[in-house]
Amino acid sequence: MEFLSFLDFSFFLLAGFGALVGIIFGAIPGMTATMAVAVCLPLTYALGLHHGLALLLGLYVGGISGGMVPAVLLNIPGTPSSITTTFDGYPMAQKGEGERALRVSVIASVIGGLISAVVLFLFAPLLADFSIKFSYVEKFLIILLALSVIASLSSNMLVGIFSGVIGIWLSLIGTYSISDGGNGHTRLMFDFMEPYLFEGFSLLPVLIGIFGISTILLEAEKGVRSELASERVKLGKSSQFSFSIFKGRLTNLVRSSFIGTFVGMLPGVGGSAASVLAYTQEKNLSRDSSEMGKGAPQGLMASESANNALTGGALIPLLSLGIPGDSTTAVLIGAFTLQGIQVGPLFIPENTDTWYIMMTALVFANFVMFFVMFYAIKHIAKVVMVPKYILYPLIVMMCVVGGYAINYGIMFDVWTLLIFGLLGYLVQKVGLEVAPLIIGFILGGQAEVYFVKSLESFGTYSIFFTKSPIAVVLWLLIAASVIFSVVMGLKNRKASREEASQ
Amino acid sequence: MSMPSISKTLGTSIMMAGMAFGSATAMAADGPLRGNVRVVIGSTSTGGDTYQNSNIVVDALAEKLDINMKVDAVGASSAFRTLDRDSRGNTLMIFHDQSYLGYLYGVEGYEDIFEKYTIGPTVAINPGNAYLVPKDSPYENLNQIIEAAGNGEEIRVAIQPGGVSEIGFSALKNAISIEYPGQEDNLVAVNTGSQSDKNQQLFDDQADLINGTVQANEQYTRLPEDDQKAMRFVWLTARQGTIEQAPEEGLGQTSREQLLQYVEPNVNVTMGDSESFTFDKEFFFLYNKDMDPAIVDQIDEALVEIYQEGDIQETQKKSFFIPDFKPSEEASEYLKEKMSRYESIIENIK
Amino acid sequence: MESGLTSLLSVSIDFETSHLLFPRIVHWVMGILFAIILVTKTIPFLAAVKRGERTIPIVGESMDGFRFFGTLALIVAYFYLMAVVGNLFPYTGYGFLFVSMVFVFLMSLMYMHEWTKKGVIIVLVNAIVAPSLVWFILAKLFKITLP
Repeated sequence: MEFLSFLDFSFFLLAGFGALVGIIFGAIPGMTATMAVAVCLPLTYALGLHHGLALLLGLYVGGISGGMVPAVLLNIPGTPSSITTTFDGYPMAQKGEGERALRVSVIASVIGGLISAVVLFLFAPLLADFSIKFSYVEKFLIILLALSVIASLSSNMLVGIFSGVIGIWLSLIGTYSISDGGNGHTRLMFDFMEPYLFEGFSLLPVLIGIFGISTILLEAEKGVRSELASERVKLGKSSQFSFSIFKGRLTNLVRSSFIGTFVGMLPGVGGSAASVLAYTQEKNLSRDSSEMGKGAPQGLMASESANNALTGGALIPLLSLGIPGDSTTAVLIGAFTLQGIQVGPLFIPENTDTWYIMMTALVFANFVMFFVMFYAIKHIAKVVMVPKYILYPLIVMMCVVGGYAINYGIMFDVWTLLIFGLLGYLVQKVGLEVAPLIIGFILGGQAEVYFVKSLESFGTYSIFFTKSPIAVVLWLLIAASVIFSVVMGLKNRKASREEASQ
Repeated sequence: MSMPSISKTLGTSIMMAGMAFGSATAMAADGPLRGNVRVVIGSTSTGGDTYQNSNIVVDALAEKLDINMKVDAVGASSAFRTLDRDSRGNTLMIFHDQSYLGYLYGVEGYEDIFEKYTIGPTVAINPGNAYLVPKDSPYENLNQIIEAAGNGEEIRVAIQPGGVSEIGFSALKNAISIEYPGQEDNLVAVNTGSQSDKNQQLFDDQADLINGTVQANEQYTRLPEDDQKAMRFVWLTARQGTIEQAPEEGLGQTSREQLLQYVEPNVNVTMGDSESFTFDKEFFFLYNKDMDPAIVDQIDEALVEIYQEGDIQETQKKSFFIPDFKPSEEASEYLKEKMSRYESIIENIK
Repeated sequence: MESGLTSLLSVSIDFETSHLLFPRIVHWVMGILFAIILVTKTIPFLAAVKRGERTIPIVGESMDGFRFFGTLALIVAYFYLMAVVGNLFPYTGYGFLFVSMVFVFLMSLMYMHEWTKKGVIIVLVNAIVAPSLVWFILAKLFKITLP
């Protein structure tokens, strides 16, 4: 218990402060957990390793959680991994249940965060050995499984899948990146676009453009009337929150937390897949999933517990393989290299003090996040009462900052906001679906790399079925997911026909 | 960004808030480099060696010149483009050998840096470029691998194509073609991406040899042999003289002496004419071609002073970088010569 | 039989052209889906438009043209001028700061339906304070590069 001597007051202060700043970063549309960690990274040099880690882990936990706020209240995912939070959160906010939605999300977040911290603490080296059993083939199947959510998510399956494929197509624009092992050639564009689109569209500007800017365009078209705000306040009264909402949802919470931890742990699969996958599974497995996407708290629970479980999950490969599990931990690795500490398979046995200290900071940050958020929600939820003529220009401005800063200052990312704002507007106008499109965009690039690389190494399509028992299990899950959405689709169609004929 | 510079920023910021946006640009007292300077780097990672090394140098430089400087990890293609557009000297770039290797390998987005840009001073070497085999590999050392390939065995090497990660592979292939003409195709590249992808190829038994780094793989080499993840160094591409400058304690639990086992002349990758291949990953500045030459001199002079003071060397060595300062002109000649050597290797095995 | 299946499934990827493999598959899927949607959705929809039962999106709908196109024009001008002004003061963030103030002010005015003296003052104060605050915290405190 030698590490206890490192835990002074300022340690907890920094972890708490980190969580607070992280929440603010996450809550501002366009700012992300990754950015919060990146801008504070230089501070850790002066703080020393342990205090620095306290701050950064606080930022990480806070930033991931803060993403729920704009997702619920404004329909803009604050971080890419809170995209599925918008599916149910925003409909709830529109019904005047914003506060309730946020409270559900906060509780789900802290549960996800703590479960993943426990898993990290107890099983990190063991799970790291398991995660290296996932080669290109298995990773492709995981992505495919996450993509299968598109079928069950869309209101019209055909249109939904088509939108998803368009999303995948958009994600392929640019080079087949060398840093993923591609050959670095560009495709799907004309030569004159190359200076701008060489690396394709980057995710965050696409996301905030398609959600944030297009919402503003749709509102502008309707004249930006502000009577909605007063309606919301009135309705706000009906949204009493009580813990009974979690009754019977324990399986969902635990399952989603484990999915989040697990996906976070696979290097290269990335954070956004976690919440998407948890959301799919809840939709497929729970009995009363037909309300999901229209404002069901269970969707929020799945999404938020999974995306906070990411934090623990993504730290597993970082600390036991030296490989970051997501974009934020990729920045976090800098904190170690700055202090001259190598992370790798021997990190935990050789740095036990640091390891315990990180766990303490992680758990503490989760609690701080919970208390800050849970009691601040009342005030945060009032954002919707700010008149739109004040709110919208500020959203555009913050989107600009976020878009510009995400890749450390690239002007084309700002134009991407507008391009995808317009695209999002058109897509909704012609009746295509935004959510499948964006899921396709998020997962498309990885789907390509893992698919092509699998074939490159094994030279046969049959490898996807015969690679390993894990592959077979994943195929069963994919089959179940597809069958389920087809059955659900037919059921819904029948129900709506009966309604129409009555 | 060190602590003094942060508190300085905080202090100035607060002062400025009071002055309602007075002149925010800390004008460099004298000298042609003024205003805020942004240093773009060819990597998008803020956890990587390019970012870390650039920060060390840029912080020292900013303090010496008393101007605001900031490192931005925008990535190679964006960095080149940003540099192209600004000839005022407000944008500088730091990158490493990838900048010309990408061109030699014909990667899209790379052009001849010696024609398009002014080459600035070199600042440091990352001596960590390494090749590893699984711990239970039948090959004891690199010479056995060359011999095996020469005798018709297929050797699969996991690399990231088109640059620093591939050059060692190319040299190896070249050596096989010299020693065992016609057998070089037995060395097969497995093109992958990040370090984790390369490691994974080894765990999956899809590769016999992988490119890695001392920093990222050292701990793997200390795992017990029955661990699936255990690896063993067979080759560090750095020059013997480079590793000899490393701190004596080496890195992690691997001492400098142990590291020296894996460099020439213990490991010999021939380039013909009894010359041996080595590769040091060197970091250097790149400037816009039309930038005021006075700025080039100003930075050179500042760095000369910084390196004379000697603190920066300590910081670099602490982070396992080898200090390697050459002023612009010398650096340009040196790198040009370096490029032509590697060009001949790549031409040879085409 | 067995070997026939194996050879049917086997592929050899040429690394030099591997960047086109996946896009080609996506194009096929996209084309097929588009054809199906064209037949099952779009043609019936257009027929309904002809009969006057439904309207074509965007073109056939009523919209607040002033605010919609005004928003677009403002955003384009905002993005463009930000870079231009920013270029005059390299890497200080002034481009963002000053252009944002004007943008926030104009957009607020455009969205405000009734201009009252109090309303305009609030808008003006907001337009000055908000960008300054953002600029100060991000560009100065956190040293984030802004246009």
